[in-house]
Amino acid sequence: MNGISLYLHIPFCVKKCNYCAFYSLPGVTEATKDAYLDALQKQADSFPEHREVCSVYFGGGTPSLFGAERLRTMLDFLRTRFFIREDAEITLEVNPGTVDLPFLESLRKAGFNRLSIGMQSGCDKELAFLGRIHTADMVRSCVENARQAGFDNISLDLIFALPGQSAEDLADSLRTAFALAPDHLSVYSLQLEEGTPFFDQRTSLTFPTEEEEEGQYKLLCALAREAGYEHYEISSFAKDGRYSRHNLHYWQRGEYLGFGAAAHSHWNGKRFSNHPDLEGYIADPLGCNDYKKAERIDETESWEEDVMLGLRTSFGIPAHLVPALPVERMIALGLMERRGENVALTETGFRVSNAVIGQLLL
Amino acid sequence: MYDIKKIRNFSIIAHIDHGKSTLADRLLEHTGAVEKRNLEEQLLDNMDLERERGITIKARAVRFDYKAEDGETYHLNLIDTPGHVDFGYEVSRSLTACEGAVLIVDATQGVQAQTLANAYMAVDNDLEILPVINKIDLPSADTEMAKREVEDIIGIPAEDAPCISAKMGLNIKDVLEKIVSDVPAPKGDPAKPLKALIFDSYYDSYKGVVVYIRVMDGTLSVGDTVQMMHTGAKFDVVEVGTLGAFTLDKKDCLKAGEVGYFTASIKNIGDTTVGDTVTLVNDPTPEPLPGFKKAQPMVFSGIYPADGSKYGDLKDALEKLQLNDASLVFEPETSIALGFGFRAGFLGLLHMEIIDERLEREFNLDLITTAPSVIYELVLTDGEIIHVDNPSNYPDPQRISEAREPIVKASIITPTEYVGSVMQFCLDRRGTYIDMKYLDTTRAELIYEMPLNEIVYDFFDTLKSKTKGYASLDYEPIGYRKSELVKLDILLNGELIDALSFIVHADRAYSRGRKIVEKLRDNIPRQLFELPVQAAIGGKVIARETVRAMRKDVLAKCYGGDITRKKKLLEKQKEGKKRMRSFGSVQVPSEAFMAVLKMDDES
Repeated sequence: MNGISLYLHIPFCVKKCNYCAFYSLPGVTEATKDAYLDALQKQADSFPEHREVCSVYFGGGTPSLFGAERLRTMLDFLRTRFFIREDAEITLEVNPGTVDLPFLESLRKAGFNRLSIGMQSGCDKELAFLGRIHTADMVRSCVENARQAGFDNISLDLIFALPGQSAEDLADSLRTAFALAPDHLSVYSLQLEEGTPFFDQRTSLTFPTEEEEEGQYKLLCALAREAGYEHYEISSFAKDGRYSRHNLHYWQRGEYLGFGAAAHSHWNGKRFSNHPDLEGYIADPLGCNDYKKAERIDETESWEEDVMLGLRTSFGIPAHLVPALPVERMIALGLMERRGENVALTETGFRVSNAVIGQLLL
Repeated sequence: MYDIKKIRNFSIIAHIDHGKSTLADRLLEHTGAVEKRNLEEQLLDNMDLERERGITIKARAVRFDYKAEDGETYHLNLIDTPGHVDFGYEVSRSLTACEGAVLIVDATQGVQAQTLANAYMAVDNDLEILPVINKIDLPSADTEMAKREVEDIIGIPAEDAPCISAKMGLNIKDVLEKIVSDVPAPKGDPAKPLKALIFDSYYDSYKGVVVYIRVMDGTLSVGDTVQMMHTGAKFDVVEVGTLGAFTLDKKDCLKAGEVGYFTASIKNIGDTTVGDTVTLVNDPTPEPLPGFKKAQPMVFSGIYPADGSKYGDLKDALEKLQLNDASLVFEPETSIALGFGFRAGFLGLLHMEIIDERLEREFNLDLITTAPSVIYELVLTDGEIIHVDNPSNYPDPQRISEAREPIVKASIITPTEYVGSVMQFCLDRRGTYIDMKYLDTTRAELIYEMPLNEIVYDFFDTLKSKTKGYASLDYEPIGYRKSELVKLDILLNGELIDALSFIVHADRAYSRGRKIVEKLRDNIPRQLFELPVQAAIGGKVIARETVRAMRKDVLAKCYGGDITRKKKLLEKQKEGKKRMRSFGSVQVPSEAFMAVLKMDDES
């Protein structure tokens, strides 16, 4: 593994979306954002080693709300504490309703070289239903501006399996997305999470059945393939090998440091996470992040992680990592296949990956 | 001072909830045998479970002195009786130890099925029956009605019956005076050879088995060598005494007419069977007491730990329970589906439920109990007669020339408004109508002959629900009858799940089979492939359902490197795995078996 990755969690948003259970807050003041920047720097400063960094990811929330200036300041600060490689992938998540051309230009100049744009759907009705603050048209102009600002690595996020969404609706959204020629697509099925407006309304919403959702997934896989995308992870598709290097790093069990409220780290054989809320984190950026006390991942756990993370990708895991008998059974069921020395989940297998992994690990 | 004329041995008999235990407490309290503040609610029921269910499972006895109005002090022995139909034999042995029985009748409910059953048993034992009308404090009490029912239905005079409230402690003295005046003093001769009846026993880890006896004739002293006439076991008596409310009160000897205990370093409770006669080795009585029966289990089921690794714990627990309950029998059994467990025999369904509950509660075990079975009698084509209580041992139908199932005579007392639905229900359960009597204008007694296997299959609960809880049930076995039986098998993915097989009447096979495959379909989580669930008789499938293949089990997102969710999921899978039964590639959680085996509705 070449270097570590850095994740920065920016828990601010214009308003909470109806499906979102991540930690983020609307209506945060400028003063709080300054304090947050301060805290992020303190935490980053606390790691003594000057490690090589292969990817940086600013996620949220809506990191664009942090403001171009703070984002640049933070990235610059990171460069003083870590050795961020020249070819490092530096991603910013943006909400298409919050950015304009000058903003994107300044970030590109600051060194960001990849954008992950929260498109979610190509249909305004669905966007409104999801509680998004933008329209499909704003996604299109966001992508155009990004290209103009010099971003040549753009990913779009989409959600499917929405209540009431037909296969045709999904196909429309995908075609809209393909028309924007993104280098990467992340397409997630809607997950009903506790504490979200959707969860509260769940009894009045009609969610697709397992079979309907599977049908949509199969459609998604077929259309993405047709459009020239490689399905390299359960929810990820890339053109011309433009994988999300940052995410691959997670799945390959690379080391990473998470800065910010609720951010997770995997470092020095340990996993740990920060204060889960903004106030707690600002008050004590190093608090929960006492990696010295964190428990070391033992051998079994480490093996389990190798298997369950590795099998998220289409590259799979070395066959010798898992017992042969269940693997053969999964292959016979069409849920896994051999890829050279590796075994990997098939697209059908991706849909039931938890159960398959259970069969292999237990 | 020993004076046989001053001894009164009596039981209290009643229908469940008519106040037996409460009256016992009041009697002890009134005579000063226990202080009120020492009285745990309902002293005689000293098992948690009994207290909770309001029923007495095991007999207990207590001796107390009462200074009567005639100025004399009497030694009263109260021998408690188990209150449920499953323990009929134990009740009869307890009654044999007495000369009288206090028959409690609830002034709000009148005579019930068990009141009758117990009263008849007392009559059969030539006991003096003293009716007592209880719960007169309740607004709905009708003492005249209750007395009339005692006279009309049971046929004993009730004009002078004490009317009491055991709960409020009202007129308790009347009951004590009645006992002294009406219950005959025991007969018996302390000089004759020893003849003592065992009516209960329990295991004490220091003393060994503590045997409760009623001395009929003769004298039992410390140091005597005794023999159990039926089991033949011989022991040297270490300790004898009478039974205090909280203690064993040591004495030198027990004489004819007295009730008490002895210990003799007895290790195995099976050596002290209820109903056996104790005599002296050097000076034996020629004849044992009549009426001895070995307790016969009537209901059988497999008991398996939900978590297969708890087999050893289950074994220990069963052994511990057996120390105090010789009627519980069990042997190891292996099921392909459920792994290692035990096949256990019980006196009846309640006995089974009690054991099951005690295992779960007192020993903290989580169990899968297979469908209760009775003992079937099969005449094979070669003329051999075999008895089968385990569906796994059911022979090939080709080899059976005649199948027979146990029949009981069931007495059901129900408010008249439910007679129609109770009759329909008995008919549905293959009952044969024998008789119906109106006990009064509001209640009727129905007599049916029923297959026992219909009774063990959730009969009582359903009966209760059909009669808003008012019906009462009593039954006794009356032998075997020819029947059309089949063994119904359940197959998952084409493989036979032995633990779910059961023996059923041919007419009921289809509906039961249908129900079970539907329940399995609803309770087996989706697997990675389509799973057929079938019910079959012999090789012939009579019902089929399909558990569809799982189509979604995935965490779409692993965000910001937070893999805790994924890990929690794996932990959950690991936990679940412990309770998972696998055969071939099919995995079924214990819960699915429990759901299927718990027949909570009619079928």
